[in-house]
Amino acid sequence: MAKKQKTSWIVWLRRLAQTGFFLLFCYLFLQTVYHPINQAGRGVTLFFNLDPLVALCSWLASHALVGAMLLSLATLAVTFICGRWFCGWVCPFGALHNFFTSLRGGPAKQKLEAGGYHRWQKAKYYLLVAFLVAALLGADVVGWLDPFSFFFRSLSTSIYPAINKGLVAAFTWVYDANPGVGPVRLTLVTEPVYSFLRKYFLAAAQPYYWGSLLVGSLFITVVALNFWRARFWCRYVCPLGGLLGVVGKNPLVRLNKHQEKCNNCRLCLVDCQGGAAPDKGWKPSECFYCWNCKSDCPAQAITFTVGSPHEVTCHSERSEESRPASPGVGAVREPPLLIDRGIEVGKKLR
Amino acid sequence: MNRFSRWIADFLHPPKEARLDLGRRAVLGASLAGVGAKLLFGIAPEASKRTFNPALIRPPGALAEDDFLARCIRCGECMKVCPTNAIHPASLEGGFEGLWTPVLVTSLGYCDYECNLCSQVCPTHAIRQIEVAEKQKIKIGLAYIDRSRCLPWAYSKTCIVCEEHCPTPKKAIWFEEVEVRNIQGEKLTVKQPRVDPELCIGCGICEVKCPVRAPAAVRVASVGESRNPENQILLTTDSYGQG
Amino acid sequence: MAHLDRRNFLRAGVTAGAGLGISLLGPRHLVSSPQPPALSIAHYKTSPTDPDGIAEEARRLTRQAIDALGGMGRFVSKGNVVWIKPDIGWDRRPEQAATTNPDVVATLVALCYQAGAKKVLVSDNPCNPARLSYPRSGIQPAAEKAGAEVPFLDERKFRKMSLNGKVLKEWEVYQDIVEADRLINVPIAKNHNLCLATLGMKNLMGVLGGARNRLHQDLGGTVADLAAFLEPRLVVLDAIRILTANGPVGGNLADVKRKDTLVAGVDQVAVDAVGATLLGYKPESIVYIVQGNARGLGTMDFKSLSPRQLEV
Repeated sequence: MAKKQKTSWIVWLRRLAQTGFFLLFCYLFLQTVYHPINQAGRGVTLFFNLDPLVALCSWLASHALVGAMLLSLATLAVTFICGRWFCGWVCPFGALHNFFTSLRGGPAKQKLEAGGYHRWQKAKYYLLVAFLVAALLGADVVGWLDPFSFFFRSLSTSIYPAINKGLVAAFTWVYDANPGVGPVRLTLVTEPVYSFLRKYFLAAAQPYYWGSLLVGSLFITVVALNFWRARFWCRYVCPLGGLLGVVGKNPLVRLNKHQEKCNNCRLCLVDCQGGAAPDKGWKPSECFYCWNCKSDCPAQAITFTVGSPHEVTCHSERSEESRPASPGVGAVREPPLLIDRGIEVGKKLR
Repeated sequence: MNRFSRWIADFLHPPKEARLDLGRRAVLGASLAGVGAKLLFGIAPEASKRTFNPALIRPPGALAEDDFLARCIRCGECMKVCPTNAIHPASLEGGFEGLWTPVLVTSLGYCDYECNLCSQVCPTHAIRQIEVAEKQKIKIGLAYIDRSRCLPWAYSKTCIVCEEHCPTPKKAIWFEEVEVRNIQGEKLTVKQPRVDPELCIGCGICEVKCPVRAPAAVRVASVGESRNPENQILLTTDSYGQG
Repeated sequence: MAHLDRRNFLRAGVTAGAGLGISLLGPRHLVSSPQPPALSIAHYKTSPTDPDGIAEEARRLTRQAIDALGGMGRFVSKGNVVWIKPDIGWDRRPEQAATTNPDVVATLVALCYQAGAKKVLVSDNPCNPARLSYPRSGIQPAAEKAGAEVPFLDERKFRKMSLNGKVLKEWEVYQDIVEADRLINVPIAKNHNLCLATLGMKNLMGVLGGARNRLHQDLGGTVADLAAFLEPRLVVLDAIRILTANGPVGGNLADVKRKDTLVAGVDQVAVDAVGATLLGYKPESIVYIVQGNARGLGTMDFKSLSPRQLEV
């Protein structure tokens, strides 16, 4: 029986990066507001500038490029070498989906089902193609499903107004009801907190937006789908993920499986974020480099190394066939049995 | 060098397991979907250029509609930054293609005269980056008085809130002093507002502040917008809608 | 939730203030010491064009006008919470004369603290968004520099109050302003198409919430009701730069005229009457001045108050 592995430090680093970029996105969101006098906040469109999908479709449809969009070339360059690291380490929308995915309960077997590769993951590439063709013809509608557009638009027109309304209502209720005993009132605590929130978080006036119900419902649906399939949006829908998957389909940093150590326990699948099928035939264009498989593998059969596909073998059927006939050294075959025994692999914030 | 060229070769001809196997037919189908979408967008009434949606009021600095739709990524930055909550995600005002693009809803918010924040934040410059002085000369629409609802027109009552708030240096709303009778039969003089189409920039503060609600007695329509030479009322001396 | 008792008390206090002052001074001053003036009109001899010059003008005019009334100590007592209500109604620069001169406000803040005020707050409920109007008018930075608190009004604190006026029975009023110890009204003289001029009494609309855009159906009555309800302790009318046309928003610098004058007084009708004449209107042609006069809130015949005229 495999023992629960200590989480690799790289996984912690990745979580830190995801949290950091998510908080940065939220910070830039809150900074997108009036600053005296007549300033919008510096660098608030950073994520859109880094987004190669926005740059590509904008250029295809309008034959022009905003200077700041050249930053997206950096994203493309790194993706070319390191694959979809962006999805795993940087994308704040991805971090959100990651978080909700990690909230899933249930036995490991169920997670395995949800975590494995599904051929519907190809849908995002077809969406990408449709958007690119439409953009080529002048209809730049990729913004409907671009992850940053989707996230920002949902936050600005639906989620943030709702949070604002809820907070103001709560503090107003306390202010009006003024519960307490004698001179000791709850408002002594809540009013300073409210002043702080008014200054740094709450909107100047409660915003209301047309169509907010539709936008908000879509957002909630997309986030909730993480409970059905791990990182649903990132795997099946995200056209930026599709673009990065195409650009990063042959990265230099590759998952290397030491076939002789692998015992087919498939623990690597349980927390696989991208559905890159590290158990058989690793798919680089689906891999987020989250490092979960490497961290979870009880046999330390997975490493990430630099090389080309011919050097660094993905553990495909081909390499299985070339294995010795008799069970070799350390090749203890414990297939689904390990998972059936319900080994505790659920870790928060995968 | 060998390794590098090997890597490039692998990229162009990857081994089986490293291939992104999308299927030629599926890719073709997706392409046709893209074409189909563009065609469907193209048959929306707005695309005919014969009619214009009065509710399609774009932020000042927005490009002409075709160029605008080619750039806008529906990100919502302008909607977040607008200090008067005037910019909203469109439903079908701009056709289906315009879904979630920014429109001003002048019953909910107005365009502040000294502000150009939306043009500062637009990541793709679908809303051009313009200075406030230029923005103040751009018309995004034209206000019209609904005489059947306006207090001095319809109810013999004094008002002038629309003119009071009008921000243009020479006010775009002027008055005709008219002697009217109220329901008691008394004669009184009221100031009946009229909009000056040369001066009105369509900012919408009149509609927001009008005491008559749902709908207001003065409303803004997109006609007269500077960025669309076809959507005009006035005889103009050039094709850019400039008088 | 009426605060009429306090307001009535204040009204009695204002008019009896002179008598109180005299009796405090002792019996031998009953005959010889003059009553402090109810109105002062300060005029600057020059008309500086540079921003520093105008700021200095504002400061000196304000100080001297208040001194001519007997000093801020007449209006503000030690430990008071003072609410200063300037015109921060519009997202406009100071030189466009749509908002009160920021240095007038800052000087008043400083004078209040010198007179022993515990806390001085400066605010308005503007027609353009507050977060735009406050900084661009220059009032927020100037007042904060002078030590005032300049809050954005909290929606929760607008409470329905009984105004018991002739026209306004009940309206949403900002609670904190009504509960403050002192209210100082600091308007700017501007043209207005409906009532010809917006001056002090009309400036008080900035303490109201609710559907203020309906008040225009009877501006004379509603503004007079409001003035009667609030009765500010002191009114300081900024007539350094006045807006003579296309008010109250303005925008065209050609509509701004220099009068280099500051009017201060306890009689809000009289102060408005002076402002009307500075704008070129007869006080009797302004509806709320007429109503205020008729109701005894003050007198529009400001000359009868023997105003102190100063050349600064």
